[in-house]
Amino acid sequence: MSVTTTTTSAAPARDGWRTSLRRTVLLGRVNWTLMVRNRTTLLYAFLMPALPLVLLVVGTRGGQNANIDPSAGAIAAALLFALVFPGYYNLLSMFVTRRDELVLKRLRTGEVRDGELITSMALPGAAVTLVVAVASVVLAAVLGLPMPTNPLLLLLAVLLAIGTFAAFAIWTASWTQTAESAQLTSAPVIALSTVGFVVPLLPSAAQPWVELTPGAAVELLLRISWFGQERAGSEPGMSFVETWVEAAPSLGALAVWALLAVVVARRSLRWEPRA
Amino acid sequence: MEQTTSGAPDATASPTLTSPPPQGPAVSVRGLRRRYGSGSTAFEAVRGIDLEVARGSIHALLGVNGAGKTSTLEVIEGLATATAGEVRVLGLDPVRQRREVRRRTGVLLQRSGFVGDLTVRETLEMWTATVTDPRPVDELLELLSLTAKADTRMRGLSGGEHRRVDLACSLSGRPELVMLDEPTTGLDPESRRQVWRLVRELREQGATVLVTTHYLDEAESLADKVSIMRAGEIAVEGTVAEIVAAAPSQISFRTPAEQLSLPTGEVSTDGELTVLRVDDLQPALTELLVTARQGGVRLDRLSARTASLESVFLDLAGDHHEKPETHDEPQETSR
Ligand SMILES: Nc1ncnc2c1ncn2[C@@H]1O[C@H](COP(=O)(O)OP(=O)(O)O)[C@@H](O)[C@H]1O
Ligand SMILES: [Mg+2]
Repeated sequence: MSVTTTTTSAAPARDGWRTSLRRTVLLGRVNWTLMVRNRTTLLYAFLMPALPLVLLVVGTRGGQNANIDPSAGAIAAALLFALVFPGYYNLLSMFVTRRDELVLKRLRTGEVRDGELITSMALPGAAVTLVVAVASVVLAAVLGLPMPTNPLLLLLAVLLAIGTFAAFAIWTASWTQTAESAQLTSAPVIALSTVGFVVPLLPSAAQPWVELTPGAAVELLLRISWFGQERAGSEPGMSFVETWVEAAPSLGALAVWALLAVVVARRSLRWEPRA
Repeated sequence: MEQTTSGAPDATASPTLTSPPPQGPAVSVRGLRRRYGSGSTAFEAVRGIDLEVARGSIHALLGVNGAGKTSTLEVIEGLATATAGEVRVLGLDPVRQRREVRRRTGVLLQRSGFVGDLTVRETLEMWTATVTDPRPVDELLELLSLTAKADTRMRGLSGGEHRRVDLACSLSGRPELVMLDEPTTGLDPESRRQVWRLVRELREQGATVLVTTHYLDEAESLADKVSIMRAGEIAVEGTVAEIVAAAPSQISFRTPAEQLSLPTGEVSTDGELTVLRVDDLQPALTELLVTARQGGVRLDRLSARTASLESVFLDLAGDHHEKPETHDEPQETSR
């Protein structure tokens, strides 16, 4: 056995975005393997988003339903569950557990950069969310539901939402002490994400505000981009251009949430357990 | 592939912070301070350290638990920021030029973790894939005798095996400078020797090794140069031979000092023993024996010994009561 250490004459570290991307995807693949290997995370990742899609199939098969509201609701729920469970919660618990166990500290002694580490941990959840989005389109085609009015907007909304929920996870991690306490500290974000579903039940004065919560924004964006619906219950049939205009406040809301989360996380994020 | 000169460290290399690599020292530290906490709970773990690690040498930071070794190393590694002072690693700033420094250094933390659900091979594959110029995984497995464990999950490894995987990661990028924080703590004697062999091989290949330890034998058998840390300061520094030569020898006997006229040296008592510290043992001992014979005094339990690294180390540790050992040391690395 022999050690070969070389002193390479200092070639400047051309650490281009390619290298960065390669490392991120590679680590992301490992994280995917780990998510699939662990029964709990696997269940959360796939079962939760699958449930609303099952309801979609069962509900639509019943009769030729002219009312698209239930379908839109089911697809929105599937997307939100993907964003919240593998996207948000899995990332949060992965980050906090690995911080506790000094895995992150160890990795940070190497060449991997912080942004790459975080992105790679967010990738499995992002992949599940994209898969759910694609599966929804395929299901809709099979079930004879309308196809997305503005697919570009839909994709943009899904990508932005992925980023927002990942940012929420890191934000939550910055004030979560241990993996166990993540069950508690995640409650506010989960509440913020599901309040959208009770929008129709709230007094009308509160509705415009509630629509700015991340969960409601995702649901609204889905209705606008896919069904051309102004909100739940309204008539479908917006034009392509109208969808962009209608979507602007919700896109803005998601972006502001993401920005807020990133700013707070940057200030207080720890990479090691508290001494 | 260019190799730096291997072998003996250049002890005379003049320390200049500004000189560009590869001529300057591998690590250069000036006036380093590191404080934990603030206000009344603040504690200064590193209190103004100067350190110079020559290229191609093995340099040991030796000290009891709590001396400040890890606190110092973490700043050099760029993982923590100093309260004051200047640090250069391979002539670079470990924080601002982090990317370049990381590419050329290997770090072993005192405690670190791995994902328990990955196998040893998967762990090393992941690591090598993040490194600019990686060593093949099979070579790393071989190097650390982990081939038989390649398909074992990390959570199923013993403490020593876990540590060897950790070390494999540190060496995966063919580093020019390796910083090892207590690499052999918790290892069995066989594994310790293996790590020592590995460290010596690194030096033969031209790498620089900065290693912390609280084991005297480790410092003594490995290090070209030793810096003994105590309470956040470097108390003694040099080759083992230099340190030993500079320390006083010791003569002790049970006869009360008043009964004799003693040769020049520092006299103290240790229980019922009279302890005499002298710079030059032979003349002092001769003088003592002659005096004793002339006075007809019997020197009960007479013993004389030259200084050793151990005696220097124990003297230093004994001198220091400011901060007793409260730091509990994990015997195994955590997962
Ligand atoms: N995060 C911390 N907060 C406060 N004190 C610390 C912290 N880490 C280490 N210390 C203290 O700093 C001193 C030096 O610790 P350390 O650098 O770990 O020593 P060594 O590595 O030589 O055992 C010890 O007294 C330790 O208790
Ligand atoms: Mg230590």
